[in-house]
Amino acid sequence: MLDNDLEVHIREREGVAIIDLIGDVTTFAEEKITNAYNEVSRKGARNILLNFRQNDYINSAGIAILIGIVTEVNRSNQRLAMSGLSQHFQKIFRMVGLAQYVDIYQDEDEAIRGFTAAMA
Amino acid sequence: MYDPPVSSSIDLSIPSELGYERVVREAVASFAHRLGFATERVEDLKTAVSEACLNAIEHGNAQTPGLRVDVTCVWDGSGLTVCVQDQGLRPYSGHVTPGIEQRLRGDAPPRGLGLYLITQLVDACGFKLSSNGGNVLYMCMRRCPRA
Amino acid sequence: MADVSHNAGPVERVVELHLPSRLGYEKVAMDAAASLARRMGFSADRVDALRTALAEAITNAIEHGNAHDAQMRVLVMLTVRPSELVVSVADQGRKPLMPAHLSPPPTIEESFTRGDKGGWGIWLIRELMDEVEFTTAPSGGNQVRMVIHLEKQS
Repeated sequence: MLDNDLEVHIREREGVAIIDLIGDVTTFAEEKITNAYNEVSRKGARNILLNFRQNDYINSAGIAILIGIVTEVNRSNQRLAMSGLSQHFQKIFRMVGLAQYVDIYQDEDEAIRGFTAAMA
Repeated sequence: MYDPPVSSSIDLSIPSELGYERVVREAVASFAHRLGFATERVEDLKTAVSEACLNAIEHGNAQTPGLRVDVTCVWDGSGLTVCVQDQGLRPYSGHVTPGIEQRLRGDAPPRGLGLYLITQLVDACGFKLSSNGGNVLYMCMRRCPRA
Repeated sequence: MADVSHNAGPVERVVELHLPSRLGYEKVAMDAAASLARRMGFSADRVDALRTALAEAITNAIEHGNAHDAQMRVLVMLTVRPSELVVSVADQGRKPLMPAHLSPPPTIEESFTRGDKGGWGIWLIRELMDEVEFTTAPSGGNQVRMVIHLEKQS
């Protein structure tokens, strides 16, 4: 019932591994997000985009999961970006300090352009 | 799909003032949605619950400031029962709820459509006795598997 | 002469909500509170701030105060006043809130090196709400009282 509120999908676009996060990012999301990250990393992804959709609920437990991903990304010399966050959660991510370590884009297209520019 | 726990419940209490039924509506909808009810059924329940709260506010409690409307929502593993209780300033239980035919014939007052709507929208409903003399309207909805 | 409101209604309106101590139920309260706040005239970003702060307060109550005991309840009280909304969240306080939970969180740089990357909840509540107070509930549990002010539209 109450803990099945996140769908995670993995796809690839122009050299960027995209992890779509559709729904809530709370404590219940940990396994799904970590598994998705591990899977794209195993396939050798250097550029990873967390693409949020319909995320009207991200809480501090969810933020802790995302900090965990950022920690791994920094260790593994990968590049991480996020897109699709609501204005509210963009603000929260700035408050927490995540925005200093992750490029935050309005949408997927903008994020892909950002990665492409960085790779050039 | 994750199996909901066998039973769980939420309780709400609002002032007897028009507008607060919307808060109940949102809470019950959120609960029902998360229990796995289909969107259409959640919409039915929202309307039924709003009408029940309006009855409690306007009739049972006669819009008296300070009187409360209490709502309990109990999930028993297969169905959701919502009880709306007022403080019974005016009893109205036992009223037969006439359909549109009687209304159009003028055999029933134009008001009171709320109860009729409720009977059409939920799987079962009726009045219960309460220990404190208030009106208690219960409404049950079974959960059909989500498509 | 004293300014007594002619309609004699109390200026406060209280909505109470009791939830089981199970993660996920905070969303029911978030939706109810958001509905109330929107009707009071709060802007969309303030409603979002309220949702986040309320979620953190309730998950704290479930995880810490009530220690995930589903039999225990979380009480959410929403008090509507002409110029503000007061939201209080009380648990049944098996586990009192540790001072460490109330201290400001470390920086994100520190959390990169820690195993536990959480602990942002109470800090978020303080950042997002206009007034925050941690007290003991009448029931003896922990209580968080949060106030969000209704800014007058110019």
